Amino acid sequence: METISSATWQALQLLLSGDTALWEIILISFRVSILAILLATPPALLMAFMLAFGQFPGRRLLIAIVNTALAIPAVVIGLTLYLLLSRSGPLGEWRLLFTQTAMVLGQIALAFPLLVAMAHTALQAADRRAWETARMLGASRLRAVWTLMYEVRFGLMSALLASFGRIIAEVGASMMLGGNILHYTRNIPTAIALETSKGEFAQGIALGLVLLLLAFALNLLLHYFQGKGQIAA
Amino acid sequence: MNELIFHQLSKHYGKRCLFTELTLPLIAGQCLLLTGKNGAGKSTLMRILAGLDKPDQGEIQADGKRYSWRAYRPQLQRQILYLHQQPYLFEGSVWDNLAYALTRGLPRSEQHQQIEAIADWAGLTALLMNPAKRLSGGEAQRLAMARALLRKPRALLLDEPTANMDQAARLLTLEMLEDLKRQGLRLMVASHDPDWFQAVTNQHLAL
Repeated sequence: METISSATWQALQLLLSGDTALWEIILISFRVSILAILLATPPALLMAFMLAFGQFPGRRLLIAIVNTALAIPAVVIGLTLYLLLSRSGPLGEWRLLFTQTAMVLGQIALAFPLLVAMAHTALQAADRRAWETARMLGASRLRAVWTLMYEVRFGLMSALLASFGRIIAEVGASMMLGGNILHYTRNIPTAIALETSKGEFAQGIALGLVLLLLAFALNLLLHYFQGKGQIAA
Repeated sequence: MNELIFHQLSKHYGKRCLFTELTLPLIAGQCLLLTGKNGAGKSTLMRILAGLDKPDQGEIQADGKRYSWRAYRPQLQRQILYLHQQPYLFEGSVWDNLAYALTRGLPRSEQHQQIEAIADWAGLTALLMNPAKRLSGGEAQRLAMARALLRKPRALLLDEPTANMDQAARLLTLEMLEDLKRQGLRLMVASHDPDWFQAVTNQHLAL
């Protein structure tokens, strides 16, 4: 008990003193995850839009595949990409393994199905009259898409936040693809795993607190957007 | 030369026939009243005329030429506007909704002029800055009509325009329809309550 309380106290001191090593890890985490979300969002929205409003053969199959992909553990995605990116793998030439780029790729693969599934649900709930009205009032397809997305923006924001929450806290893919290299690919979850295995609880707890705070903030925002979405509907 | 006539319109849902080989003229300055039971196909017919839904077959005679429905669909979508039974209003103010319908790139002064004129016509001037989604049923319907008119359509199709309206709002809607007829617009109104529209009706089609 004493160990926990003293480690927590040390963790707070680390956080508040602006410990460079600790904040560097936090920065890497956010940089990788924000980049992954930014890159995953446009194609995910496009796919969600196609699934919600498109009529093409294999649409239902694609929805089933996206929903199945939601259940794939991060470590399996990590393993798959590891095999693809390793020296002897088909993409080994790219020399991406144990880089931040590989971590970004892993997180994109993790975020993409969740983004598509949640955005698809939000768009499906959108009122079809919004699209029809926009088009009848002379909006181009692009403007009508934008109008529709604006109408369901709270649902889309929820998709974004939930996906960000998923990837910033995942350890399996980041560990396998990034290699947990200090100053380069060590992010919050891989650092927690490492520090805990070494018995260095203070840094682990400090980073855990950051994740907890982030989870709390994301949940607050999610509730805000979901509430807004219900009012708007 | 200003004609707009639909020929041989047919629509089936499975084995159920909604209408077949229907000829339907939309005449400038006239109002066609469409009646029928729920599910008779009133909304479907209007949506087909506005280019929103596909018919099984159909042709359009416009300005002296005859086109297939498919070939003329883009023009239908521009020229004939369908107003949903419960109009869809975008987020934002009444002004924003009206501005949405204006051609992009229009000079600001021209935008203001058009919006103010149409708002005045629809009795919405005092509500211009109000959130559109909080309008009453009658106000929402008037906004939808005003917004559609900014597109300068050849025909306006109104699906149950007075549903959920009180007496005063219904009378106001009738006055607006009468005025639109005077301006030479083609009107089509689907209603369960034909008596209400007797005064503005020129033709009557029962499905």
